[in-house]
Amino acid sequence: MTSATSPNPAPVFDIRALTYVTHVDDNLCCPICQSPLVEPFTTSCRHTFCSECITNALKASKTCPVDRTPLDTKNINMAPVVLANLVNDLTVLCPNHRDGLGCTATLPRGNVEGHLKEDCLYVTVACPGCEEKIMRKDLQDDVCVHVEEECSYCSGMHRKLDMKEHETVCPGLTTPCKFCGNECPRPQIPNHEAICDEAIVSCDAASVGCPWHGLRKESTDHSTSCPLMHIRPLLEENNSRLANLEHENKLLRRRLELSLVARAQTDIAESMDDQTIRVLTEQEHIRSDLERLYVSMQEMDIKQNMLSMHMSDNMRTKEEVAMIGAAVNNLRTQLHGLQLLMFRRQGLDQNGSGGARPTGASSQAGDNSVLGHARRMSDMPSGDRVKL
Amino acid sequence: MSSSKRITKEYGELENDPIPGVTIKPIDQDMYNWDIEMSGPAGTPYANGTFKVRLTLPTEYPFKPPTIAFKTKIYHPNVSNDDKGNMCLGMLRTDDWKPSCKLRTVLTLAMKLLNEPDTNDAVETSIVEQMKSNHDAYVQRAKEWTKTYAV
Repeated sequence: MTSATSPNPAPVFDIRALTYVTHVDDNLCCPICQSPLVEPFTTSCRHTFCSECITNALKASKTCPVDRTPLDTKNINMAPVVLANLVNDLTVLCPNHRDGLGCTATLPRGNVEGHLKEDCLYVTVACPGCEEKIMRKDLQDDVCVHVEEECSYCSGMHRKLDMKEHETVCPGLTTPCKFCGNECPRPQIPNHEAICDEAIVSCDAASVGCPWHGLRKESTDHSTSCPLMHIRPLLEENNSRLANLEHENKLLRRRLELSLVARAQTDIAESMDDQTIRVLTEQEHIRSDLERLYVSMQEMDIKQNMLSMHMSDNMRTKEEVAMIGAAVNNLRTQLHGLQLLMFRRQGLDQNGSGGARPTGASSQAGDNSVLGHARRMSDMPSGDRVKL
Repeated sequence: MSSSKRITKEYGELENDPIPGVTIKPIDQDMYNWDIEMSGPAGTPYANGTFKVRLTLPTEYPFKPPTIAFKTKIYHPNVSNDDKGNMCLGMLRTDDWKPSCKLRTVLTLAMKLLNEPDTNDAVETSIVEQMKSNHDAYVQRAKEWTKTYAV
């Protein structure tokens, strides 16, 4: 089973990066990675995924990625063998295929690992002589390809590995000229092609429109008869003048655009100035108005203060008036009482003129007491009167 | 690792067989952020508008859902009217997301929402109210926004 160059490690390749030769039915693709199934596993809800994909999905969420049925690792089992066989039989390109250079093998997907291990020429293996890594295609009969040997054509020393490449450029080898077919030493090929009579050349006047192509040996005949060759200097001069004019035109146009832009900007600036002045004067007006308003507001404040002072004075006076009114009322009741007493005494006096004398003395005393009381009232200081 | 491969695959499929009205800008380096342009469908207030949309894929994709955000302002009940412009798609909610769902389905559904807004699952409830009470005013406003921001 193992090749002559073993032991080689098992080839590492990404099975999901393989290129499938034919269209793969969507039913054979994993719903998670969208690639053809790899080691298919089926869930208890009968959906099939790659083993790696379903393992990762269950780490993220314990539900089926298709129908969200609750799932656990114990609910998944290997899919039927027939399905695994179907996906492993899909035809793929060898992972070492490259455009132009590389392995061109197409094979069933299941055989890729074996192909890489045994057959693919584009796998790196150890050189049998020196253990350096080389491609399997460069292996030569179990000998080291890194040893230099002499080239049999130019006597130069080259590694066995590089010999094939060297032979494509070896100066000791001749190559036929692609025009005349004569064998020529390789280094002289470019020189030869520049003068080869069989080489295909175009007319010297091709730059001014001559379509002629032909062998070099015929080009002199053509030149003498080519009408364009005669007017070529004139045409070329015209072309250069045209180019100059175009260049100049472009410059002028740019300058014109720039000056137009500058002009437009100054216009805008002028109109801006007018507007700014108007705005500024208006602002001045508003400011002086504001100051006047401020002064009158201060005056108003002072007036208001005075008013409130007057108000409080007024209140106090009002209170005093109310108190005086109350005192007057009190006095009035007392006066009334006095009048009553006077009336009663007058009545007593009239009765007493016909009765005993001693009672008169007692009533005299009572009269005195009432009068005395009235006098006391009038003698009270004005401050106490307020209390009444 | 596996996410980038699936993303590349889905991008390739969408490039080969594009969804009508949805243009995906080429991915330069960051394949987890897609710049998309959606054309407003004819016959809707969004017609003639080109809406820039950012599709962001989490590194855990496809195990976590992608998000869709409108970079162009749009008057639409299912797109949040803030600087995020997130589009509310039921299937993109973490609990409702299924790893088997493809970006083609997501974008097709987003396009369908432009065609007919889903009033049962709206983020901008005031727009839904307006659509119910005064549909003409909604159309008028949506057209104005389209003209201002998306043309």
